[in-house]
Amino acid sequence: MSENTTASTSPGVPVEDPTPFGWLTTADHKRTGRLFIVCSLVFLVLGAVLDLLVRLDLTSSTDFVTLGSDSFAQGFAFSREALTLLFIIPAFLGVSMYMVPLQIGAANLAFPRAATASFWAWKVSAIVLMGAYLGNGGPYGGWANGVDLHLLALSGLVISLLLGSISVATTIMTMRSPGLYMDETPPFTWSSLVSTSMLVVSLPVLLGQIAILYIDHRYGRVFLLGNYGVWERIDWIHRTPQLFIYVVPVLGVAAEIVLATARRRVFEPLAMYFTIGLVGLFGFGAWTNFAITGEGADIIDGFEGVVYVGLYGGALLGTLGLLGLLGLALIQNRKLPKISTSLLAALGAGKLVLVGAFIGLIGAAVDWLEIAGRGNDGNPQLRMTTWVTGQQSVLIYGAGLLGLLAAIHWWAPKIWGRQLNELVGMLNFLVIGTGTLLAFAGPALSGLLTEQPDFVYADPEATALYADWIDDSGAEGLSAIGAVGVAILIAGTCLLLLNLFVSVGLKKGPQADDDPWGAQSPEWMLPSPPPMGEIDELPMLTSGTPLLDSTEPEEVTA
Amino acid sequence: MSDTTPTLASGQPQRPRTQLVATGFACAAISMMMAGALGFYMARRHASGPHPGSDWLDGLAVPNPQFDYALLTLVASLVTAHWALWASRRRDTAHAWTAIATTLILGLGFINMVMYSLNRMGVEIGAGEYQNLAFATTGLALAVVVVGLLYLGLMGLRSLGGSVGQQGSTAFGAAVFFWDFAALVWTVTWYTVYVVK
Repeated sequence: MSENTTASTSPGVPVEDPTPFGWLTTADHKRTGRLFIVCSLVFLVLGAVLDLLVRLDLTSSTDFVTLGSDSFAQGFAFSREALTLLFIIPAFLGVSMYMVPLQIGAANLAFPRAATASFWAWKVSAIVLMGAYLGNGGPYGGWANGVDLHLLALSGLVISLLLGSISVATTIMTMRSPGLYMDETPPFTWSSLVSTSMLVVSLPVLLGQIAILYIDHRYGRVFLLGNYGVWERIDWIHRTPQLFIYVVPVLGVAAEIVLATARRRVFEPLAMYFTIGLVGLFGFGAWTNFAITGEGADIIDGFEGVVYVGLYGGALLGTLGLLGLLGLALIQNRKLPKISTSLLAALGAGKLVLVGAFIGLIGAAVDWLEIAGRGNDGNPQLRMTTWVTGQQSVLIYGAGLLGLLAAIHWWAPKIWGRQLNELVGMLNFLVIGTGTLLAFAGPALSGLLTEQPDFVYADPEATALYADWIDDSGAEGLSAIGAVGVAILIAGTCLLLLNLFVSVGLKKGPQADDDPWGAQSPEWMLPSPPPMGEIDELPMLTSGTPLLDSTEPEEVTA
Repeated sequence: MSDTTPTLASGQPQRPRTQLVATGFACAAISMMMAGALGFYMARRHASGPHPGSDWLDGLAVPNPQFDYALLTLVASLVTAHWALWASRRRDTAHAWTAIATTLILGLGFINMVMYSLNRMGVEIGAGEYQNLAFATTGLALAVVVVGLLYLGLMGLRSLGGSVGQQGSTAFGAAVFFWDFAALVWTVTWYTVYVVK
């Protein structure tokens, strides 16, 4: 690529409008990616605040502390929807939209305007979703039209995320530079393909469910219990194993950063692609549980128990294999890697995916084998207790937010042309790590020791007023620990937004050169940030590590 | 770009079958949407008890001949859609236009016939569990058919409106592929909801 890489002015290439109005009509994948990343972080704060209020309500097993009887169930539902559909999926979709074309030598996404449409449709749907909840709609809502509106907004969110996912997946499948084969693509690109493909074959199930829920609720409420029948059928998108699909890009980010820091290729590339794919694959199938029957699988003594143990075991093995390969790369380097926020957060996020899978495996095995009388004599299965909330905290707050922290710190030079403050970044890592630990430990221990219910679909009030359900009152204290954890996580997210605002918005961060990390994947060959619009000249790539190929070739081959 | 960055030869990435691949992803998504809806239907049907004896249909009688004719119309439209694709690949504009127009007419005829069948059957939304499930699943399948029809018409116009080259033909091929898929979606839905019931 030439030194003076510029935006293309060729006929047929969309010309970018540099004014603020241009953000509305942009056909530039970089702008769309930025929009997704920043907006999803803002929605994360909103979702986490609701989660905090819900958890504060759980600090008393006999009274409502914050949300009250009328709003608790809706607050619970919104917090879950915000953390998945408004944060973790769009955040990594945004990173993929920005980075994937740069990593595969493509001028743009396959359908750039569809990608932009996906962002704005997602944004509008998110606002409608909030409006539905504010008007007393949503699951368990008292405003019938608001319940319908919530379902419509939910389908809008799913369709827009699917549109973006198809755009990214098609780009990876068809627009790679000639010579860049699939098994040579950078790990983040591969993880994006796995994640978006799995989203394409899992999220639409929700659309089918919503169509039936909407028609039954709107016309007659014949058989689905009206507003009480909604949440139990859509809750599967917020639970494992579906959550594994959302965190697959985290594994790509971890692999990208660790390998670049070690200046190594992975020992066996196909094994790396296989392990990442395995985690995505074992995230598939969650919809067969609650979505269809509304009652959940009969996990005890049944085939479903074997399936669940297998799903979690597969995800665990996949993550373990990937981390093992990355660890091997670090060891082969024979030098201590340079410690950075990105590296710490990437390693932390990767390990938390492992922890999430391990927690799931323990939960499934305990329920399946009826350990400690789980599922018998009125004892709830572990997956129906706040053990699940702990697992969600590990995967969404821990792996998701730490993974995003790593991605933002790593690629900030390429996305905004500036590096973020490293000291604040390290502090951010500590804050998010501590928050995750507490947000996980409180509910997980409460579920394990006191059998505190995760959510009682038939009687949501009993979720907050759980005194009659639990073995002892330790749940209140453990819930408080979880609430403190979420409060710390909110502070961590605000710190990240503040770091972005100061370093990028106020331009206090040091201006980055093309490859400030000495990394090896193709995006680092381009200027930081790349020019607006489509790039005039594109690299002819034959490898996912072109910058490594050209330096010390004899040392890097494992 | 810094001096240390190696200079590579520039190259224009190819975009083979982009639209076809995207259509394939869309088909996968729709398959799962229908799996979700029909899975729901079958679970409820199973829960209603053994077929003879239960009042699952709520006294409704399925007009089989009308639904059969609708399916035959759809199959005929598949033939004409492939005729259009065959003609467009040979730059035979007259044949291609005729085939596309025939396909669109047959598609509209199919929708009309399904609506007539549902009216004749007396499916009333909100009247019962079967009615609501049938309305939702049939509605989703018909929506896929309508999208397929619009896609076919749009790509047909684009393909024949001046660019009946390889790229235009591939785009139209993607639309025909989607139309085949829409027919499959309808067939599975019809078999589940109106044949097996």
